Amino acid sequence: MTIVAEGSTGTNENRGGPIGLLLVALPVFLVCWLVIWPIISAVMRTLWLTSETGEKRFSTETYQFFFSDPYSLSNLSLTLWTTCVCALLLLLVCLPIALYLRFSTSKVAAYVQGLAIFPMFVPSIILSFAFIRVLGPNGTVDLLLNAASLPKMRSPYLTPWGPVIGLVWDNIPLTVLILLAGLGSVSNQAIEAARDVGAGKLAVLWHIILPRIVNSILVAISFAVLGIFSAFTLPYILGPAAPELIGPFMQRTFRDLYDPINAITQAVITFGFCIVFGLFYVRSVAKNRAP
Amino acid sequence: MSVLKIKEISKIFAGPVRAVDNFSLDVADGELVCLLGPSGSGKSTLLRMVGGFETPTSGVMTIDGEDITHVPPEKRPTGMVFQSHALWTHMNVFKNLAFGLKLRKVAPDEIKRRVDGVLDLVGLNGYGTRHVAQLSGGQQQRVALARSLVLEPKILLLDEPFASLDQHLRERLREEVRDIQQRLKITTLFVTHGQDEALSMADRIVVMRDGKTEQIDRPDIVYREPQTPFVAGFIGTMNLIEGTVSNGIFSKAGYSTPLPVSDGPAILAVRPEALDLSVVTENSQGKVHRVTDYGSHGLVDLELLDSTRIKAMVSHPDLFRAGQGVTLAPRAIAAYRGNAVIHRA
Ligand SMILES: Nc1ncnc2c1ncn2[C@@H]1O[C@H](COP(=O)(O)OP(=O)(O)OP(=O)(O)O)[C@@H](O)[C@H]1O
Ligand SMILES: [Mg+2]
Repeated sequence: MTIVAEGSTGTNENRGGPIGLLLVALPVFLVCWLVIWPIISAVMRTLWLTSETGEKRFSTETYQFFFSDPYSLSNLSLTLWTTCVCALLLLLVCLPIALYLRFSTSKVAAYVQGLAIFPMFVPSIILSFAFIRVLGPNGTVDLLLNAASLPKMRSPYLTPWGPVIGLVWDNIPLTVLILLAGLGSVSNQAIEAARDVGAGKLAVLWHIILPRIVNSILVAISFAVLGIFSAFTLPYILGPAAPELIGPFMQRTFRDLYDPINAITQAVITFGFCIVFGLFYVRSVAKNRAP
Repeated sequence: MSVLKIKEISKIFAGPVRAVDNFSLDVADGELVCLLGPSGSGKSTLLRMVGGFETPTSGVMTIDGEDITHVPPEKRPTGMVFQSHALWTHMNVFKNLAFGLKLRKVAPDEIKRRVDGVLDLVGLNGYGTRHVAQLSGGQQQRVALARSLVLEPKILLLDEPFASLDQHLRERLREEVRDIQQRLKITTLFVTHGQDEALSMADRIVVMRDGKTEQIDRPDIVYREPQTPFVAGFIGTMNLIEGTVSNGIFSKAGYSTPLPVSDGPAILAVRPEALDLSVVTENSQGKVHRVTDYGSHGLVDLELLDSTRIKAMVSHPDLFRAGQGVTLAPRAIAAYRGNAVIHRA
């Protein structure tokens, strides 16, 4: 595994000295200022509400509102659905690509690798418009179907499948790279030895390869999920108007409805879900490090 | 029991590299044959073709008369032991050994019995629950051997299985493998580039060079009667002196000896242990360059008059000093012209 979150804290050994402490202090300070403090302040602001008279009181009503409002709940469930479907599709798409890249000896593999990594360099906006041009109404696919005098397809544009397709496409490179890094730890000889004792291709995949890359799969999925859960651009452009994904929902609550407290509540709830996936990631990295 | 026949096998890699070139070999039932040759001579490629991991460009292989040339590795009755890194590190020793049996749907108590049996055979009794990472290099290779043996393959293939181990351990495992092989009477093909490994283990040695056979013989014959100058130089230490023959006399830079062959160029081959030296003050044929005392014997490096280097083994190294003149008296010689033996005495 190459992608590992490095903590910046040192060991208990006394090897710091003032320069070491300074080096550590800066990132710690930045993390506290830019990450930890906003989280705490967001949680505080949603729990200690200011009434019209200016006095502060403890209340969970914004959360009660979110979890009783059918619209908010359908947005949340759409977001969870999109995230799960994307994770599943990503795995189904990326695992074969990564396996192919790892084990192919042909020259085509280099081009496939290039193609798989390419979306990483394409901004989401461009990706969205490419999507609309190809899969949208009167897009390339429609024109081709029309030319072949086939019936029009139902475009995924502005349906829940729109963001799914866009997000999967957007996340392929990182997922492939993480899986590929994991596959690097599976030696050719280990695989040949398995075939030697009678394992067919599927048995090799199931008993030899997958157990070795379970951690990479977990890491890749948690990375993708974290990104997808709070994605904004792609769902905003490609997704349906209602229900909507949490990202655009937050933005609209904040900008269009001038309702910062509820927007922050949505953000804290999103953060809560993300932290669950984050813990998942930390756990698999820790497990990976254990002997 | 099993017989392996390899007939006119070639393997050409893109390049084109002729890794194995029209190679034929019959391995008899219960025989251990060593493939010996320098790096890049095609030993691994040949072994991997027998194991099914490479497809021959041409030729046929059979085991007990059955054509296996295009059978995939998982269906071949061969068991292969790799050089290293081939154990499955996410399984413990028992699971490593049981994997192949499970795939064959052997009953659990039968699996247990066979795994314990083979662990006993390789001297790793009670190591079943150990993890692979908790084993030493030597133990790992024993597990790898056991993993192949537990499936009772018809042909056992080993590709430099001890190359990553230290000298001492290598010698011990070599003996153990030979013992096990003879106890089970399993037909075995063993790749090595260590000649002492080949000489001490093999029933027969195949000396390979550039994908072709140079010689196939019993170890003692390969050592005593090498068929080509390459084999002569590759197995053991051999002085190869290139000179010319005229009128039945071989000569090279002031050294000459009778050689009853026709006139022309020739390579004279003399083992260091078959070369006697005597110290002289005049009419010397060579000059002592360095004397090394190994305790049980000594080795004298000397130069012929044109500074061709040769070696001689002597029983009393203290009789020789650097710079002394010597004459040579070989007790056994062979002579080659081109790639063929033209004289042996
Ligand atoms: N997959 C491959 N593609 C191209 N060439 C290869 C391949 N495998 C082996 N070769 C070439 O085939 C020749 C024989 O290689 P091989 O591995 O069989 O040698 P070897 O005798 O086992 O050497 P060593 O003692 O170093 O293991 C070499 O020239 C090698 O470069
Ligand atoms: Mg080799």
